[in-house]
Amino acid sequence: MLKLGGVLRKSFFLKRYISALYITGDKANEHYVTIQPFLDFAGTFRDRAALDHSISSRGLNINLETVLSKYKNYQTHHEQLLRLEKERDSITKQLKLLTKSGGSSEQLNALRENGKVLRNDAKELKQKLYPIEDDFIHEFLHLPNSLHSQCPASDVEKLIYMHKPTASRSSTSHLERKDLVHFVNNNCYYLMEQAAHFDVRVMQSLANYFVTRGDFVQTSNPDFVRCVLLEANATPLTHYYLVQEEHLQNKLNTAYLTGCGSFESFLGAMTKLSVYPSVLPMRFVACGRSYNREEALLYGPTPSLYTATQTNAVQSFVATQTADEADTELERVLNLAVDFYKSLDVPFRIVYTPAVSLTASESLRASIEVYAPSLKRYVCLGRISNFGDYVSKRILFSARREKHFDFLHLVGGPVLYTTRLIAALIELGVELPLGTLPGAQAAEPSVEAMTQHQRDLQEFKDLFK
Amino acid sequence: MKLLTNVRKLLLLQQSPKQRLITTARTITKISQPHDEAEPALTSSELDELERNCEMRHHKNNIPLIRQLVQALHSTGQTGQDQEQTRRQLEEQLELLPNATHPRLLGYDNQPLELANYKHRVLPEQGVAKEFSDLARALNLYRMDHLGNYTGHKSYYLTGQLAMMEQAIIQYALQSITRQGFKLISVPDILPRNIIEACGMRTEGERTQVYKLDTGECLSGTSEMALAGFFAQRQLAEQELPVKVAAVSRCYRAETSGLHEEKGIYRVHQFTKVEMFAIATPEQSEQILEQFKNTEIALFKQLGINFRLLDMPPCELGAPAYQKYDIEAWMPGRQMWGEISSCSNCTDYQAKRLQIKYRRDSDGSLAYAHTINGTATAIPRLLIALIESYQGAGNGNGNDSIQIPEVLVPFMNGQRTITKNKKVPEIKLVKFIKST
Repeated sequence: MLKLGGVLRKSFFLKRYISALYITGDKANEHYVTIQPFLDFAGTFRDRAALDHSISSRGLNINLETVLSKYKNYQTHHEQLLRLEKERDSITKQLKLLTKSGGSSEQLNALRENGKVLRNDAKELKQKLYPIEDDFIHEFLHLPNSLHSQCPASDVEKLIYMHKPTASRSSTSHLERKDLVHFVNNNCYYLMEQAAHFDVRVMQSLANYFVTRGDFVQTSNPDFVRCVLLEANATPLTHYYLVQEEHLQNKLNTAYLTGCGSFESFLGAMTKLSVYPSVLPMRFVACGRSYNREEALLYGPTPSLYTATQTNAVQSFVATQTADEADTELERVLNLAVDFYKSLDVPFRIVYTPAVSLTASESLRASIEVYAPSLKRYVCLGRISNFGDYVSKRILFSARREKHFDFLHLVGGPVLYTTRLIAALIELGVELPLGTLPGAQAAEPSVEAMTQHQRDLQEFKDLFK
Repeated sequence: MKLLTNVRKLLLLQQSPKQRLITTARTITKISQPHDEAEPALTSSELDELERNCEMRHHKNNIPLIRQLVQALHSTGQTGQDQEQTRRQLEEQLELLPNATHPRLLGYDNQPLELANYKHRVLPEQGVAKEFSDLARALNLYRMDHLGNYTGHKSYYLTGQLAMMEQAIIQYALQSITRQGFKLISVPDILPRNIIEACGMRTEGERTQVYKLDTGECLSGTSEMALAGFFAQRQLAEQELPVKVAAVSRCYRAETSGLHEEKGIYRVHQFTKVEMFAIATPEQSEQILEQFKNTEIALFKQLGINFRLLDMPPCELGAPAYQKYDIEAWMPGRQMWGEISSCSNCTDYQAKRLQIKYRRDSDGSLAYAHTINGTATAIPRLLIALIESYQGAGNGNGNDSIQIPEVLVPFMNGQRTITKNKKVPEIKLVKFIKST
C-alpha cells in the first residue's frame, strides 16, 4: 500500500501539468505569478548537437525534434501576436494624431473599427496561443543544462582524487554501537555522547573553516522552500516532504521541508537579486539541517544512518560572472573540502558523477565520498555542482553592467552530511575528534576531555561567575 | 495542599489507553462500592476540584460532560456495549485535562510574580535605542523582505557575523550546560503525531501550532518532544535518576502573529534552540526545576543582558506544566520585555502518556517518573536582546557597530565588534528581464 502511494505520488509529480514557475495568462487570475523566468530560447537551441548530447547522456526521455517543432509553432503564433499588437499600437497612435489634427469622423470611425477587429483578432489568437505556449514552455523548462566537458558521458564515474586506498576489510554496522546510535527508522534516530557532540562540532568547524580559510560569508537560511524554487533548480519534488499549510494563498506554490542546510534554501535570497560585478565572486556557507528523503535511499535497502532523511549539513554557494570563474571556484571548494577531510585521515575520494545521475540543472557534479565498511562501498558525504547560468536565468539572479544583465554562474552544494560521516567513522574505528578539527573554536578544553574531578571543579567555579 | 493531593489522585485517570482502561475499570468498581475506604470513590467534590483547576488555568474542558459520563457509568441501566462507549468517551475527555497546579500559584490571580530583576548594562533609552531589524539591516546582516513567495511567510536570512553569532550562542550554551552534567543527544525533528500529543500539544484544529507533512508525520516544535519520546516506554532504575539531557534542534511553529510588537524575527516559524530536559523522581523534580532555573540565569547573566525572572500563574502554564518559570529580557529597541527562556516541571503528565517509569529502590515497585524541560538558548529572541542591548557600543562615532558579549568572543574567532558587512550585496531586486 505504501509502495502504491509512493508510485502514485511520483506519477502525480511527473505529470504535474501546471508549473509554479511558468503560468500562462489564462491561469494568471487563478494562480499568482511569483516570477517570470528568463527564457533563453536562442541560447538553448544555439548548439543543437550539445543539447542532444546532454539529453542522451543523461538518459532523458525527451525528443528534441518534437520540442523544436513545438517551438516553431509557438514562435509563429507568437510573432503573429506581436504583429497584431504592433498594428494596434500604430492605429492608436494614428487615432491620437487624427483627433488632434481634426480628422473627419469617417476616417476616425474607420480606424476605430479597424482597431476593434485587431483587438478581437489578438484576443482570439491569445486564446489559441495559451495551450500552445503551455505545452511548449513546459517542455522547454524540462530541457536539461548543457554538460560540462569534464562530466563523464558514460555511466561510470571519473575518479579525480583519492586519499588512503581502502582496505577491503568489512566491518560491523555502526548501528551495533548502541551507546552512540539509537536508530528507529529513516526519519527518526538519536545520536549520543561523543557522536552527538561531533554531529554539532564537525558542522560548525567545517563552516568556520570555509569562513576563515576560504573567504566565505556564513549565512543562516530558512528551512522551507517553495515549489517555484525547486522547479527552478530542477529538484525532483519527491526529494522533500511537502509541508501542509493552514492558510495557503497560492495553492500551486506549496512549501517543502528542505532544511536550512540545503542548496535550494540559498535560492530565496538570490531570487530577482541584481548585484554589482564588484561583489563577485560571492561565496556563502551555511550550516544546519538537510532533509532529503530520496537521495539517501541509494544506500539501502537496510535502513541506517547512511539512509536517514535528516542530517546536519554544511552547504556551499558561490556565484561568479563567468564560466571560467565557476570552474576555478568549484576547484577551490573541493580543495577546501579535501584539506578538511584529509585531517580526519579516512579513506575518501572525489569523483565526477556520470551524466545519467545529474539533475537537469547540473552541468557537472563532483561527489565527495567516504568508504563505508559495512556497505563495502563509498557513500556520498557531499557534492559540489556547477549549474552554469541555468538556475540564475530562472530566478533572475544577475549582475548588472550598465543596461545589460549577466546571469550569474552558480557553483555549490553540500560539503558535509554529518550522519553519514559519523556512521563511516564509527565503522572505520576512527575516534570522533572534537577540538582537533580544522576550523574548530575550542575556547577551553572541551568538557568531554575533562576528568570527572576537573568537571566537578569547573562546575564549582561556574557557580561564582 | 489537600486540594493538590486530591487533584493528584484524580490524575490517576490520565494514563495511557491500556493503563487507563484498567484504572477506569477500577474506578467503576470503586463507584459501585462507595464504602470501600481503601480506594475512595470519585466524588462530586473531587470533580469540583477538577473544575476549579481547569477554570484557574483557563482551560475549556467540558466538565459537565465528564460529570454526565461518570454518572452514566454509575447507572445500572447501561448495557456492556454502552458502558464501553461511555468509558471511551470519558477517557477522551480526561486526556484533554491539564496537569495539576502547584499550590504556590493559586493566589497569583492571572498575573506572573516577578521573583528577580537582573541589571547588567546601562541601556540606551527610548528614542535613542534602535530596533533589531533596523540595526541588522543597516549592518547588512539580515534579510526578511520579499521572501514569502520563495521561502515562506516570516522566513529570514542571517548573514556574516550574525550567522556566526547564532553558532557561537549554541557553542556557548553547550559548553555551559555540559559542565552542569547535561548529556547531549542529537534528536529527530520529524515526529509521529502521538509523541507530540503526549507532550501536551494539539496537532489538529484551526489554531494548531504544529506543522504536518504529507506523510501525516509532524514537525517538532521543540526538542523536548523528541527527548521525551526517546525515553518513552522505558523503565529506569531509581539510582540512574535524575537523567539530564540536552539537544540542539530546529524548532517549527505554525503560529503566526500580526502584532506590531512581535514583528521581525520575534515570532518566526523556524528557529534553532538548545534545550535541556530531565527525568527525575517525584522527590527530585522540584529541586531539578530550581537547577534548570539557576542554569538559565547563569547563562543570561554572563551574556550581560538585563532580564527578569517570573513565576508564571496557572493561566500561563499550558496543559502539561505543574509550575513554570519564564525569563524575559529587556529589549531596548522595542521598549518591551520579551520572553527568551522558560522552564517547567511537568510532573508525571508526559510520563503517564509516554509510559516513562522508574523502579523504586525501596520496594522495587514501578512508578511514573517526572519530566522537567527548559530552554538554554533560543536564537532569534536572544539575538534581538543581545543586538539591541549592545548597540552603539562601537567606537562612539555614531556608526551602528555592536559589541560582542565577552563570553561569545572565543566562539567568534576572537572578534569583538560586529560591523557593517561589505561582502554581501545590498538588496536590489528586478521585476522582470525581457526574454530573447
